[in-house]
Amino acid sequence: MRAAGDLPVYAMVGNPNCGKTTLFNALTGLRQKVGNYPGVTVEKKEGEAYSQHGRPMKIIDLPGSYSLAARSPDEGVLRDVLLGRRADTPAPHRIICVVDASNLERNLYLAHQILDLGRPVIVVLNMMDVAIGSGQRIDPSKLEAALGVPVIPCEAIRGKGVVALRLAMSRADLPLARHRWDVPGPIAPAVAELQASLVQTDGRAPLVARAEALLLLTDIDTLRVEGSTTLSPQTHAVLAQWRQRWAREKMDWSGTLIRARYEAISRLCAGVINRTRDLGPSWSDRIDRVLVHSLWGWLFFALVMAALFLSIFMLAEGPMGWIDTRMTELGGWVKASLPAGDLQDLLVNGVIGGVGGILVFLPQILILFFFVGLLESTGYMARAAFMMDRPMSKVGLHGKSFIPLLGSYACAIPGIMATRTIENAKDRLVTILVAPLMSCSARLPVYLLMIATLLPKNEVSTPTKIGIMFLMYLVGTVGAFGFAWLFKRTLFKSAPPLMIMELPPYQAPRWKEIARQMVERAWLFLKNAGTIILAISMVLWFLTTFPKHPDPKVGVDVQIAHSLAGRAGHLLEPVIKPLGFDWRIGISLVTSFAAREVFVSSLGVIFGVELKSDDPAPVRVALQAARWPNGAILFTPLVCFNLMIFYVFAMQCMSTVAVVKRETNSWRWPLFQIGYMTGSAWLICLVVYQTGRALGF
Amino acid sequence: MTTPLFDPRVPLCQLPAGAMGRVCAITGEESFVQRLREMGLGEAAIVRKVSGTTTILCQVNGTRIALNHDAARGIMVEQLPGNAH
Repeated sequence: MRAAGDLPVYAMVGNPNCGKTTLFNALTGLRQKVGNYPGVTVEKKEGEAYSQHGRPMKIIDLPGSYSLAARSPDEGVLRDVLLGRRADTPAPHRIICVVDASNLERNLYLAHQILDLGRPVIVVLNMMDVAIGSGQRIDPSKLEAALGVPVIPCEAIRGKGVVALRLAMSRADLPLARHRWDVPGPIAPAVAELQASLVQTDGRAPLVARAEALLLLTDIDTLRVEGSTTLSPQTHAVLAQWRQRWAREKMDWSGTLIRARYEAISRLCAGVINRTRDLGPSWSDRIDRVLVHSLWGWLFFALVMAALFLSIFMLAEGPMGWIDTRMTELGGWVKASLPAGDLQDLLVNGVIGGVGGILVFLPQILILFFFVGLLESTGYMARAAFMMDRPMSKVGLHGKSFIPLLGSYACAIPGIMATRTIENAKDRLVTILVAPLMSCSARLPVYLLMIATLLPKNEVSTPTKIGIMFLMYLVGTVGAFGFAWLFKRTLFKSAPPLMIMELPPYQAPRWKEIARQMVERAWLFLKNAGTIILAISMVLWFLTTFPKHPDPKVGVDVQIAHSLAGRAGHLLEPVIKPLGFDWRIGISLVTSFAAREVFVSSLGVIFGVELKSDDPAPVRVALQAARWPNGAILFTPLVCFNLMIFYVFAMQCMSTVAVVKRETNSWRWPLFQIGYMTGSAWLICLVVYQTGRALGF
Repeated sequence: MTTPLFDPRVPLCQLPAGAMGRVCAITGEESFVQRLREMGLGEAAIVRKVSGTTTILCQVNGTRIALNHDAARGIMVEQLPGNAH
């Protein structure tokens, strides 16, 4: 038992889209901490609120869920935390159940399961305004009388009811639920036996054990989540025995229990919900009739996606240039402040060059997260995922794969992070594996340089430039879908997914929340990717600097040829010669294995060009002059084209590898990804080059 | 005793837009069916079809639900008289 005066720990639970997050933000303000549950990629959100007496209370915002019978890792974490199965997050003392008043009975399903746990519960009746707007009058006091726990009406968006909630949370004593309901007769002995086993051998509190027993007995295909403790062998045996018996008797306890629960909820709600009149289809319904299944809907969708895509590229240009300039200035300042030497070189080229490289992408990432937040907040995201489900499922992907893949056009890292919404593990994995094939913005400098080198005129006409770039994007996209299709047919075969998704009503966007989420996610991204890139940049700097050429006066190009990276390039040459690449390109391939955009500066260094800005002109001239030992032109149009193709397919981003490792919790998948992507890049480039040569290019 | 000229039971994807139906039977992968029931789409639930013939949109007791084709095919409903426009 918790001693009086201890900091009470609250868990906030509820269905997705019940306004739980708004309420959590209202209670905790900026005193929030976002992280991860160890072992599983589910966001862990904790915050602190102050009681009526000014004492701090800890609140954990658990993932939105429909039932304790978990169908996704998010719901699995909710279940495990509430049942006390996670060592990293002890079971909370009290639970705040947020319920959408306009959809009361369905929302009470989870609340009813939670009341079974026997812990103090406060029910928040949120979205009271929506209920009234849809012609329903809910009586909170009647509900409180039926349930026995405090019921607080709320409109979290407007801040109404937050004070009352805080008051309720500050109470020293909270009444326990008195929603007595009877487990269906024939199932009762099984529940009793399993409950006893859980209490004796797994150390559960009696009421929690009863709830858990009920869940274990009726949950079909229980989902296991990493980081949760397993049941004792005795309990397993009891469970298995009852399950086998029911399988023999062909009893469907799952359906019976669900029906029993809904009937109990119905009785509880008698007199609570008063439907004044049936108002017919709501605004959301009317909008959906146009937006979801009609031509206008698709046009609107295309418009939204175009806006997303264009903003990422156009709106970000200014800020990106600004950041780039600041980074260059910083480098200049360091150069001026420190004496010339290795340290200065490391800081300027290794650290600032590397970290600056990732900071430059921050505007694009912010814009992507902003759009995602906007779409989610208005409720359109669910419709978009739903509409894209049919075309995506033709290649074996999920409708929810669409936004991660679209976002990967900016940068695969936030795109991959966005795959957390995909419940099916296989679909999610396939999406993660093919996301880097969507040509990310880091490939742009490569494309631009190659296009400039490939086209003989000094001034590249814009339509040609755009045309070639578009071609590269197209190839990448086709590659992504092609591989997805292949994977779903072979390695990740699974039955066609059955998708059910609740569409929240349309809402005006909540700007504060969007902004907060945007900053949070971007910061997490910077922290994770930034640290890795910093480490890699330093390693690369080392590889390209040492061992040093005995003569300190040689040019940078000789220097790099002498280094470890240079030797790697030489070693690589026999492998990449059939693709038309030589050892100098090989060095760049090695260095840009850390980050694609390094390719341009590497080439610059190798060919002895001092790069002052992103302007490819001086490098282009040097490249066009480059020759093989036998005098043949190195950068023929075919080779330039081939190099672009290589960059479309090859996995050249250690940061992505690191994020994939974190999101899949193993090294197997990132290594597989490197293998299949770079392998196919080599193969495709081989075919392209040899065919091109045979055709006389 | 006259038998109806047609079987009023149809899969949810074939229910006309705007029509109401009562769920008679649900088939499909067991854990998915369990989830359907938990979300209110159980046997005897009244569902109003909003739109769609392959991916579909429907309303169950205040909840707006989207289903893909394979899921909707497994839900047999009996059309109820009257429209709910």
